[in-house]
Amino acid sequence: MSTSIPQATAPAAAESPSAPPVKAKVKRRKFDPWGAVAWIVGLGFFFPVFWMVLTAFKQEVDAYTTTPKVIFAPTLDEFRAVFDQGVGTALLNSLFATAVSTLLVLLLGVPAAFALSLRPVRKTQDALFFFMSTKMLPVVAAIIPLYVIVSNIGLLDNIWALVILYTAMNLPIAVWMMRSFFLEVPGELLEAASLDGASTWRAMREVILPLVSPGIAATALICVIFAWNEFFFAVSLTAVQAQTMPVFLVGFIAGQGLYWAKLCAAATMAALPVVLAGWIAQNKLVRGLSFGAIK
Amino acid sequence: MTTSQLGTERPGVETEAEHVARIKKTQDPGVSRAEGWRRRGPLLPALIFMIVVTQIPFLFTLYYSTLSWNLVRPGSRRFVGLSNYVDVVQDKTFWQVAFNSVFFIVATVLISIVLGLLLALLLDRVFLGRGIVRTLLITPFLVTPVAGALMWKTAMLDPVFGIVNWILPGEGIDFVSSWPRASILVALVWQWTPFMMLLILAGLQSMPRDILEAGRVDGAGAFQLFRELTLPHLRRFIELGAVLGAIYLVNTFDQIYMMTQGGPGTDSANLPFYIYQRAFLGFDIGQAAAMGVVVVIFTMIIATFALRLIFRSFTGKEEAA
Amino acid sequence: MATITYDNASCIYEGSDKLAVDSLNLNIEDGEFVVLVGPSGSGKSTALRMLAGLEDIDEGNIYIGGKDMRGVPSKDRDIAMVFQNYALYPNKTVAENMGFALKLRGVPAAERRKKVEEAAKILDLTQFLDRKPAKLSGGQRQRVAMGRAIVREPQVFCMDEPLSNLDAKLRVQTRTQIAALQRRLGTTTVYVTHDQVEAMTMGDRVAVLRNGELQQFASPNELYDRPINAFVAGFIGSPAMNLVTRPITSDGVQLGEHATMELERDQMTKLHELGLKEVTIGIRPEQLEIHDAGKVEVVVDLVEDLGSEAYVYTHAGSGVELVARTNPRTAPKLAETVRLRKHPDGVVHLFHPETGARIG
Repeated sequence: MSTSIPQATAPAAAESPSAPPVKAKVKRRKFDPWGAVAWIVGLGFFFPVFWMVLTAFKQEVDAYTTTPKVIFAPTLDEFRAVFDQGVGTALLNSLFATAVSTLLVLLLGVPAAFALSLRPVRKTQDALFFFMSTKMLPVVAAIIPLYVIVSNIGLLDNIWALVILYTAMNLPIAVWMMRSFFLEVPGELLEAASLDGASTWRAMREVILPLVSPGIAATALICVIFAWNEFFFAVSLTAVQAQTMPVFLVGFIAGQGLYWAKLCAAATMAALPVVLAGWIAQNKLVRGLSFGAIK
Repeated sequence: MTTSQLGTERPGVETEAEHVARIKKTQDPGVSRAEGWRRRGPLLPALIFMIVVTQIPFLFTLYYSTLSWNLVRPGSRRFVGLSNYVDVVQDKTFWQVAFNSVFFIVATVLISIVLGLLLALLLDRVFLGRGIVRTLLITPFLVTPVAGALMWKTAMLDPVFGIVNWILPGEGIDFVSSWPRASILVALVWQWTPFMMLLILAGLQSMPRDILEAGRVDGAGAFQLFRELTLPHLRRFIELGAVLGAIYLVNTFDQIYMMTQGGPGTDSANLPFYIYQRAFLGFDIGQAAAMGVVVVIFTMIIATFALRLIFRSFTGKEEAA
Repeated sequence: MATITYDNASCIYEGSDKLAVDSLNLNIEDGEFVVLVGPSGSGKSTALRMLAGLEDIDEGNIYIGGKDMRGVPSKDRDIAMVFQNYALYPNKTVAENMGFALKLRGVPAAERRKKVEEAAKILDLTQFLDRKPAKLSGGQRQRVAMGRAIVREPQVFCMDEPLSNLDAKLRVQTRTQIAALQRRLGTTTVYVTHDQVEAMTMGDRVAVLRNGELQQFASPNELYDRPINAFVAGFIGSPAMNLVTRPITSDGVQLGEHATMELERDQMTKLHELGLKEVTIGIRPEQLEIHDAGKVEVVVDLVEDLGSEAYVYTHAGSGVELVARTNPRTAPKLAETVRLRKHPDGVVHLFHPETGARIG
C-alpha cells in the first residue's frame, strides 16, 4: 500500500523545544507624513523648556540678545550664582514637603481606596462624593482662615504647614485613582484567599497590594508632580525659611540688571526634578492619568 | 415543550414575598451595622483628615465673611452680617474678574481639548520615534507652572528678546502688555494640552478595534468612522478631561501672578488672584472672605452637575462595549 | 466525616427582593460527588457559595460534618474551591499558588514543597511549577486551580463551573479526570454546572434547581427514568425530551389528526381518576421510533445526521413538534410522512398540565 508519509510537523505545544523557527520580522518603515507632523508639533511644544535649559548655560550677555543665540560658550556660572543665593534651602524644602505629603497621602489613601472599592455600602457613594467635592472647592476660599489658623498655631513659614495642605490637596485624586486600581482586582481573588485561610489583612499584603502596586506608584507620581509644582499655598504661607522652589524662583526676579541666564538656571533647577521623574516613569504616569478613564 | 408552574406556591403556605419579608425582619441589624463599620473603617482616617483640613477653614471663612475686618486697622473688627456680600455683589471689579475666571476656564478647556484630540490622533499612529515625541509632548504638564509662565513671559513673548517676536516680522510687540489675557491663555493651554492628550490617547487605545473593522466592512470611510464610532467612545474621556481640567483651572493662580500680576489693573485677574490681592495685599479679610464664599457657591452649583456627569460614567459600572 | 446538610437554607442578595436560594434541603453523604445543576439564575452558584461561606445564610442552617456553619467565616471552614475563572494569584508561581493555604497554616517549607510536588504529579503540572499563571494556557490554569484545592486536603471540594471556560474537547477530557480524581481522593464534592451532560456523567447524585428551589435530588438514572416534574424531564437528557400538552382521548393523547399517542391501561385510569381533560406527556427522542405500526402520523421537517445516529424533527397535523431518534442509514427524507410509535421498552411520562408534577 503506497501512502505518503505526512511530514512530521513540529508539535505546537509551548513546551516543545523543536518549534519551527519564527519568520524573521520584516521591519518596513513606511514613511508616515503624519509622523513628521507629530515630530514638528512635539518639538514645538517642547521648545520653551529647551530654551530655558539652554539659556541656563549661557552667560548673561549671550542671553540678552535680540536674535536668539544657539551657539555660545556654555558656562556653569549662572548655576553657581543661583546656589549662592540660597537655592539649597528651597530645594530641601520642596523635597521634604513633596516626599512627606505623598507618603501621608498613600498612608491615608490606600486603606480608604480599598474600603471604597469593596462591595459598596450605601455610604460609599456619599464618601466618594465628599472626597471629590473637597477638590471642587476653590482653595482660595479657605486661604484666609488657613493663614490665620496657621499663624495662630505658629506654623507660618514652617514646612509642615505645606505638608498638611499638600496632603489634603492630593488625597481626593489619589483616593479616586487608587480606587479604580483596586476595582480592577477580581473579587474572586479575595474570595480564594479567604478560603485558603487568609485574613483580610494577609490577603491585602500577599495578593492585592502586589497587584495594585503599579497603580499606587502612578498615583504617587501624580502627587509628587502636583506637590512639587504647587505655588499658591507656598507663596501665601511661607517666607524665607520654608520657601519651596516655586517661591524661590519668583523671589529671584530682580527688577534691574542682566539676570536672565540666572533666572533660567533657577527655573531649570525648579522644574527639572519633576520633569525627569515624569520622563522616567512615563508609562506609570500615563497609566495613572488614564485611571478611571479606562475602567 | 410546555413550561408549567412548578409548585412555587404551596397552597396554604406563605408566598415568596411574605417569606422574604419574614427573613429580612429577622436579620440582625446589629450584625450588619458592625459589618458596615468594619468595611468602612479604613476609610475613616482619610475622611476625618479631609474634614478637619478643608471644612473647618471653610467654616471660618463663612464666619469671617460676616465681619468687617481689615488687618491694617486693628481693633476695627466687628460683625456686619451680610453687608460684605452686598459689597461684593455690587463690586464691578468682582464681576469682571469672575468673568475672567470663567473665560480662562472655558477657553483653556476647549482649546486644550481640541489640540489634545489632534495630538492624540497623531500619537495613535505608529511612526519612528513615537515614544520620544510623546515624552516631548508631556513635558509642559510636568514643568512647574511658575517656571513655564516665566519662560512664556520672558523668553517667548518679551517684546525685545522674545523668540516669538524674533520670528514675526516688524516691530516687537509686547504681547503680555497688549493682550494680557491671551498671553495667560497661551501659557495655560500649553500646560494643559498634554493632560487632555494623554486622556484622549488612553481613550483611543482602549477602543475595541473590531468595531472599527465592522464599520469598514460596512463601507464607512475614515472620517465617518471617526465621527460615528471613535468620537462617541471618546466622549467619556473628553468629559473626564473637561471636568478635571475645570476643577484645577478654577484655582489658576501661578500664571497670573507670574505674567501680569492681574494687570493692567485687574484686567487679567481671575477670582483667586483678586481675592488674594484683597486679602494679602489689601488686608481686607471680611471682603475677601465674602468673595471666597460666593465663589464656592458658584462652584458648587457647577460642580453638582459635573459630579453627576462623572458618576454617571465612572462608578465602576462599565457600559457594554 | 464530611457530610453536608442544607437545612431549609435560604439566601437573599442585598438590595434584592427575590430569594436567590429558597429553603434548600439537601443531605449529602461523606465522599459523595453531588452536582448542582440548573439554568442561569437557578441559585446553584449561590447555594455553593453559601456552603463556602462567600454568601450569607439568611435563613436555615448549613452543617458540615455535623457542625453548624452559620457565622463561621470562610477561612475556618476547611473548604477548597475551584472557581469558574480559576482565581489564581497572578503574582505567585504555580508552586506558590498551590502552597499558599499551607503557608498560611504555618506548614514548613519542605513539607509544603513535598505536598505541592505530589499534587503536581497527579495533575501533570510538574514542569510548570515555577511559572506564573499568565504564562499558562486555559487548561493548565484549570489544573493549577484544581491542584490548589487538592493540596489542602480539605473536607469538602466546591467547584463552580470549572469547565465552562475550556473548549469542548478539553472539557470532555478534564471531566473524566476530575471524576477519577474525586473517586481516588474520596473527598465530599459539591459541583455546580449548567451543563446537564456533566451532571449526568459525573455525579453520584444530582440536584436540579430552578428559581432558587430544589426540584429533584436523585441519582442520574432516577432523574432520567423518573423525573419528578416536567421541568426536570425537559432539562435532563439531550436532545431534550418531547413535552407537549394535548387533549386526552379514549385510548391515549391526541397529538394531531391521525396522530394519537397510546397510553397504558393504568395510565388512563389515573388520568380518569384525576378528572383531567388534557395532560402533558413526555417521551424521549431515543424512545420514539419510526415504525409502520405507529399511530402517530407526522411530517419530517429536518434530519440531523450525526454519523452514529440521526435525529428526525417532525410535526404532527396540529403543529405539535416531535423529535425521534433513528438509524442514519434508514432515515426518512424531508417532507416525507412517517409514522412514529413508542419504543417497546420506552416510557411515556405524564405530567399535570398546570403544576407539571409527575402523574404515576
